[in-house]
Amino acid sequence: MRTFAMELRKEKRTGIIPFMLAVGILGAAYAFAFFLVQKDTLFNLPLAPMDVLLTQMYGVIMVLNMFGIIAAACMIYNMEFKGSAVKKMYMLPMSVPVMYFCKFLILTIMLFLAIAFQNLALTKIGLTDLPQGAFEFEAMLAFAGYSFITSMPVLSFMVFVSSRCSNMWAPLGIGVAGFLSGMALAAADHVLFCIHPFVIMLKPAAAMSAQPDMIVVMFSLVETAVFLSFGLWAAKYLRCE
Amino acid sequence: MDYMITTKQLTKKYKSFVAVNNVSLNIRKGSIYGFLGPNGAGKSTTMKMLLGLTAPTKGSFTIDGKQFPNDRLSILREVGSFIESPSFYANLTGKENLDIIRRILGLPKSSVTDALELVGLSEFGGRLAKKYSLGMKQRLGLAGALLGRPPILILDEPTNGLDPSGIHEIRNLIKLLPGLYDCTVLISSHMLSEIELMADDIGILNHGHLLFEGSLEELRQNALQSGFAADHLEDMFLSMVEQDNAARKRRAKL
Repeated sequence: MRTFAMELRKEKRTGIIPFMLAVGILGAAYAFAFFLVQKDTLFNLPLAPMDVLLTQMYGVIMVLNMFGIIAAACMIYNMEFKGSAVKKMYMLPMSVPVMYFCKFLILTIMLFLAIAFQNLALTKIGLTDLPQGAFEFEAMLAFAGYSFITSMPVLSFMVFVSSRCSNMWAPLGIGVAGFLSGMALAAADHVLFCIHPFVIMLKPAAAMSAQPDMIVVMFSLVETAVFLSFGLWAAKYLRCE
Repeated sequence: MDYMITTKQLTKKYKSFVAVNNVSLNIRKGSIYGFLGPNGAGKSTTMKMLLGLTAPTKGSFTIDGKQFPNDRLSILREVGSFIESPSFYANLTGKENLDIIRRILGLPKSSVTDALELVGLSEFGGRLAKKYSLGMKQRLGLAGALLGRPPILILDEPTNGLDPSGIHEIRNLIKLLPGLYDCTVLISSHMLSEIELMADDIGILNHGHLLFEGSLEELRQNALQSGFAADHLEDMFLSMVEQDNAARKRRAKL
């Protein structure tokens, strides 16, 4: 808890927290604006109203979240490498893996808040614009959870990569490459492509149904745990040599 | 003799390059130990090993009777350090930077003001660290090392980047520290003239080899025996290094 509070203090003036909140607000604003403009077109699609609400706007919201995660992960470690601050941390009586875990936790909470904002907007749209009785709160919650879980492998992967690269452009480049390769592979049905964390995050956007895919959920949970373990293990080995 | 830091045959190899070669140091408790050597002699590498930043290839060391990696946290709690260049969070002010260290060490709030005062940064504590001049960054690094007045200080060229009056000020501060709160200081430099004004004991390192270890008085005796004037220790130091370099070249030719 002490390390977590200290990590939050370190974030001061980095802009990570307002940035992730802005991602959430921007996603919510996009949902409102898109529904306002495209409402009729969306309801003419051969899909159930809840599927329309949850899947048709998720593509852009997901891309926003993905770039939010990539940039925030780069920023959260860039402040450690800028001014060699992390070197001082290595020389202090504290656990570097715990510091890593707290950074992971901060980004997870911020992503959760961003997704919560976006889903609050979708709930509002669902309650006011969907046909009477068409809005299903449970489906809404399930999809919100699904989009959060499928975003976690990218977050876990990006925190790991950022912690190992002192030059911020390297993880940023890896993030962009991950997004582009993920886009190319997301439409493919082969389950092995789910190893790619960016493909996992793109899966709900590529699907036409809001029903969570349990195989994708399983891959997400395993990949999140694997990348987090890699990061914690690598954090034990100082990068000062 | 009561030693605070001892190293035994400490060696660090990077592939085929030997940065530190069988170095055995004995640093007395409550003394200022000057660690001398030209650039690339292995001073910083030795200090990094003492702080657990890099693992020795061979040899061992104890700090206040404790050993890495088992007593890592306990050792780091006792050691204030400043290695190579100042390390700080650019997005935080000087005071906020020290506050982070204070929280990790579990010190009272007053220790931040105390450290800022010691290094003469009190009036700039509220300024962002990235806006500090090189000398101010150096002082901030030093304040971080002095925070909580630790019993052991490991300082790697702490006066780098300071102006002459700053060097004088910091030198006087370091000189006062053992008397002020009974701490042991290991300080490195490539200038004997600077170390001469502070240190009780000296270790001279060249190409990873320890060429001399002893008191300043012993170094003076050594200088006289080698035909150097006792007040020209810098010449003696340079000649020692040159002789070692020449012997090294001869061995390489053979």
